[in-house]
Amino acid sequence: MEYKLEDKWRRYEKIEFLGEGQFATVYKAKDIETDIIVAVKKIKVGSKAEARDGINRTALREIKLLQELKHTNIIGLLDVFGYKSNVSLVFDFMDTDLEVIVKDTTIVLSPAHVKKYTLMTLLGLEYLHDNWILHRDLKPNNLLINSEGILKIGDFGLAKFYGSPNRIYTHQVVTRWYRSPELLFGARMYSTGVDMWAVGCIIAELLLRVPFLPGESDLDQLTRIFHTLGTPNETTWPGMTSLQDYIQFKTFPGTSLKDIFTAAGDDLLDLLQSLLTINPLKRITCTQALQMPYFSNKPAPSPGSLLPLPSSLVPTLVKPGSKRKLIESQTGAILPKRLQFDTSM
Amino acid sequence: MEDQVCPRCRTTKYRNPSLKLMVNVCGHSLCENCVDLLFLKGSGSCPECHVPLRRSNFRVQLFEDPNVEKEVDIRKRVLRDFNKKEDDFATLEEYNDYLEQVEEIIYNLVNGIDTFETNRRIEQYKKENKESIMKNKVKIGRSELELEELIEEEKQKEQMRRIGVLREETEVKKRKIRAKEALIDELMFSHGNAKEIVKTFQTMEDEEEEKIVEKATHFSTGIKFGKSGEYLLHHGQEEAPLYTYVAPIFETEGPRAPNIEEVLSGTYLEHVRAPGLDERAGGFESTISCLRALQEAVVGLYFKSS
Repeated sequence: MEYKLEDKWRRYEKIEFLGEGQFATVYKAKDIETDIIVAVKKIKVGSKAEARDGINRTALREIKLLQELKHTNIIGLLDVFGYKSNVSLVFDFMDTDLEVIVKDTTIVLSPAHVKKYTLMTLLGLEYLHDNWILHRDLKPNNLLINSEGILKIGDFGLAKFYGSPNRIYTHQVVTRWYRSPELLFGARMYSTGVDMWAVGCIIAELLLRVPFLPGESDLDQLTRIFHTLGTPNETTWPGMTSLQDYIQFKTFPGTSLKDIFTAAGDDLLDLLQSLLTINPLKRITCTQALQMPYFSNKPAPSPGSLLPLPSSLVPTLVKPGSKRKLIESQTGAILPKRLQFDTSM
Repeated sequence: MEDQVCPRCRTTKYRNPSLKLMVNVCGHSLCENCVDLLFLKGSGSCPECHVPLRRSNFRVQLFEDPNVEKEVDIRKRVLRDFNKKEDDFATLEEYNDYLEQVEEIIYNLVNGIDTFETNRRIEQYKKENKESIMKNKVKIGRSELELEELIEEEKQKEQMRRIGVLREETEVKKRKIRAKEALIDELMFSHGNAKEIVKTFQTMEDEEEEKIVEKATHFSTGIKFGKSGEYLLHHGQEEAPLYTYVAPIFETEGPRAPNIEEVLSGTYLEHVRAPGLDERAGGFESTISCLRALQEAVVGLYFKSS
């Protein structure tokens, strides 16, 4: 059945409310055409000023970028439709995200699991970077995972094309804990390094099961980075002092990663070291990272079906009202979670 | 045991098979009937040693020799006060001396040697060690409480287990009945060979039984010792294929854009604004914008809308 543009909303049958953010409300819904479960993100109209612009900027970004992207490890934008005065985006339905898995203490993450998560993240990110897109908000909460164990990068509200020589970018991107030193020093021209740094922090978090560098302020974030990895200087990071928000830091010698990640193998430590390189020009790219021995070495990344799921999710079919993390969150703001009491049972 | 006899009424076990000897703190036995008779008022004196006794303190004599009972009583009473533990002494020798002293007091009391002197010693000890006696009493009480709790817990577990077994049994019974009914239904309404049907049901039942047996062993041990190692190994690490990098295919629908090596070796970069020091520090290189511009220039050149 072909739907007219204004009638498209009929195609999606609301199942339950999933969460609400600053800019959008997310529902779980069923596509009655295909019987596939999807997530519908209804963009709020917002203030009058915003309404005059027509559509929310982050939504516009997401639609614009995601409509052209198609990759197993990137969240799929299946449809966009308007109903009355608001716009809704239809996404692949994702059961959980990496933050839930990291925080679920009942889950044991084996080295093979960590490798699989890292691999899927980097494959998705390589695709983005190859297409000149920076995600700019990578964090466990935005790495969505479905019940088949497939990880997809989600939330493109901050994503942007990169590589333009005369456009300046804001440095107020990326959730602080995953923000790279060049962003913290206020760099206005940056590149794929910002996403790579975030990946490094995410892998570290997978190993430690707590955020690697949980800074309480931007300054504290830099202190933590330099305290763990050593303070850079003009020889290790040329041009560092010319960055807009540069401040002199105390010289820390840094700790060896081997002492922080005692259980990690040498190949994984190599990867972490290359991702958490302070000088962004020395930091490796996705393509380089994927070719590092860590990924081809044993143990092999575990197949998606063997990846753990949070305990609240295991009997997916039996418990439709089970608590789950929100599908999308906006610009790093954590969506408030509402408890759903299932009345249909 | 045949010559058990009440010292007062001379009744023997032979004459009265239900004869029950009782004993009190003094260590002299009496049969139940005599106790009832003599201690009608609740208290009285021992007919042998004339020590005042309470009726409630009489208990069934467990040992043939009433002296044993007497000693148990005395020991209990003495140890209530002499309740020091090995930890309370600096050396083993001191502790041994202390135990020796306790034994001596008990022996004296049991055999009636220097009773007066011994009692005086106990009183003196009590006075001197009032505080430590109290302290140890509390300590003992606590450890006893813990023990009781443990026993209670064990009891509960046992009960749970029993309930579980019971439930399982009824479940099995129900299943059997259901299977039988199904078999009858099948026989009644199916047109197949009756023998075949019976046979398939028989095998089904056998399988079921095997399953149940397995479950029972699993239940009794709780932990599958033999299988635990195997389980750890079986994490699918062996079967999963190792990862090999495959460069993604980039569909350009146009001529191939120069790659990074060609950009670096060619003259392309001469036409691109060199990045400032701060831009390089931010991770921006001219190759990035150059590569992108080149790619955008050629991409889609061969594209034909179908």
